[in-house]
Amino acid sequence: MMELIRLTKAYKGVPAVRDVSLVVQEDEYLTLLGPSGSGKTTLLRLLSGLEKPDAGQIHLNGEDVTYRPPYLRGLGIVQQNYALFPHLSVEDNVAFGLRYRLIDPVTDDSEVKRRVAETLELVGLTGFGGRMVGQISGGQKQRVSLARTLVTRPKICLLDEPLGALDANLRERMTVELRKIRATLGVTFLHVTGNETEALAMGDRMVVLDKGGIVQADRPDAIFSAPSDVRVARFVNTYNVLTGSGQDSVFRTADQLVSLPEEAHGREVGFYAIRQDSVEIDAAGTVPEPGRTSLQATYITSEFLGSRFIYIFRLPDGGVFEVERHLSHSDPVTYKGGETCSLSWNLADALVFDPSGAALETNAFKGAA
Amino acid sequence: MNQNTAIRTLLAFYTALFLAFLYGPFVVMAIISFQQGPEGGPQFPIIEWSTFWYQHVLGFAPPSRVAPLPIGEALTRSLTLAFATMVVSTVLGTLTAQAFRTQFKGSGFVFYLVVLGMMVPGVLLGLGMALVSSQFGIDRNWWSTAFVLHVVYTYPFAFLVMLAIFNRFDKSIEEAAWALGVPPGRTFRKITFPMIFPGVLSAMLFAFTLSYDEFPRTLFTGGREVTMPIAIYGTFAVEIHPNLFAFGVLTTLFSFALLTVYGVLMSASVRRARVRATGMQEDVA
Repeated sequence: MMELIRLTKAYKGVPAVRDVSLVVQEDEYLTLLGPSGSGKTTLLRLLSGLEKPDAGQIHLNGEDVTYRPPYLRGLGIVQQNYALFPHLSVEDNVAFGLRYRLIDPVTDDSEVKRRVAETLELVGLTGFGGRMVGQISGGQKQRVSLARTLVTRPKICLLDEPLGALDANLRERMTVELRKIRATLGVTFLHVTGNETEALAMGDRMVVLDKGGIVQADRPDAIFSAPSDVRVARFVNTYNVLTGSGQDSVFRTADQLVSLPEEAHGREVGFYAIRQDSVEIDAAGTVPEPGRTSLQATYITSEFLGSRFIYIFRLPDGGVFEVERHLSHSDPVTYKGGETCSLSWNLADALVFDPSGAALETNAFKGAA
Repeated sequence: MNQNTAIRTLLAFYTALFLAFLYGPFVVMAIISFQQGPEGGPQFPIIEWSTFWYQHVLGFAPPSRVAPLPIGEALTRSLTLAFATMVVSTVLGTLTAQAFRTQFKGSGFVFYLVVLGMMVPGVLLGLGMALVSSQFGIDRNWWSTAFVLHVVYTYPFAFLVMLAIFNRFDKSIEEAAWALGVPPGRTFRKITFPMIFPGVLSAMLFAFTLSYDEFPRTLFTGGREVTMPIAIYGTFAVEIHPNLFAFGVLTTLFSFALLTVYGVLMSASVRRARVRATGMQEDVA
């Protein structure tokens, strides 16, 4: 178990990580989602000991390791660029930690070979041991990098955007494999990513980071359906976020009025979010049914994504509003560019946030249907 | 297209001129070294082709009015000095460049302090050292005062070479090794050093050749036991015979041999990687 207590780090006066407190459990897959510049890499470097915090502490299984050098922490780190040793073969890369680590090195060469072979098998690289690292593909490098770390049996394995450099196909396969490998070994993975789909799909638990601070830490489905902050709603990338102000029972945005859910009546509202897949498209001027509200917008274009369509609309103030239609639910409809449509949704599906961005309590914490 | 050809011709002419000036003197020297001896002097025409001056340099020629070159000991001294300078300068240069990988207070100042050693005119440095040593009653010797100046002179070169190498070095590779539990010293030996080895080789070559050739600094600080360049200079003062040219040819051949060793060592690692690569291609097929 690793405990971060109010970790803070600044570079030349610019805060990169501020006041981060978090408990990383044993045997869990934790994803850390944040846009670039949110301090996620810095946080990882603090945990691994490659950087020293300005304030705060890191406890590892009850021991204070805040200022312990990386080679005494027993953590693994898989870097974004893989950082393989270019002058060594795949086998020697993987064996490196076992052979040369300060604590408990493995001196028996046959034992090293056995463990290396075992780990290469785990990551699906049996038979690649003799190759030089310059002679294998990106996906294979990433596996070597993972194997090199896992073979040392780290207490926690830190992964810095491990899938960032892979193409989409490989990415999807590695997503499944990473989870499988982790479950096999029972090692805690702390996976840093800027990709919301990855964070949602992989983590048992997920932490959303913004501007160096934790915005929300929860199960992915909870974060997805009930973002605690408007920034989270934006990161998960499935919400239309409207900016404006609440006036009693209505919310004024882009010179239009939409109804607020009942719980938000009379409260200060700064942001209004609605999931892209809970919006209906009707002809312009259609009066919404009771319990629903609507917005007029201009259709621009649509994007076909295999199993679904994304319809893109422009609001009068220039903002973009996206509607997602799954083909399993409805057939695609063709709209004319420039056509005005009425977009409506169930009030109960709406999420509202106060002007500072914090979520207001509503009862919308459920699926889209 | 036409303009292209014109530029190409111009560049070819320029290159030819460059090569002519680069190798011309050496070619002339090489031709004259085969002059007949001992009567033949360092001038054209060649009276008769012979290897007399080579035999003279190597001490096989019958005694004549031309004194043998006083080079035996001087050569050993120069080689020893160059070797010691190479080792010390490369180690210092590598370590200093390593230090410069992290920003530290006054790093700019220290940088210029180190590089000053190759900027200050050699004569000044040599004279200064001579004055200092006589002031403090230090004996001037090729292995003491001259050696120090050789290091001062070649260390910045080694440092700059290594600085360029480290500039392109990916630090995350070392960090990966630390994170695997390997302490920094061991990481340097097992990861960093093998990766920067080609650079170290270049730094060594620089330091060796610069020291081996060094004249002004050694002239004033070398003491009575002279090094190669000083010994040769000494013979100029009396009379020039083609034996000097024969010796020049021999040392140039020696330098080429040295360069060949460097080249072989350099390509060894590349070739090793290539062998593995072809091995892999066979796997795939």
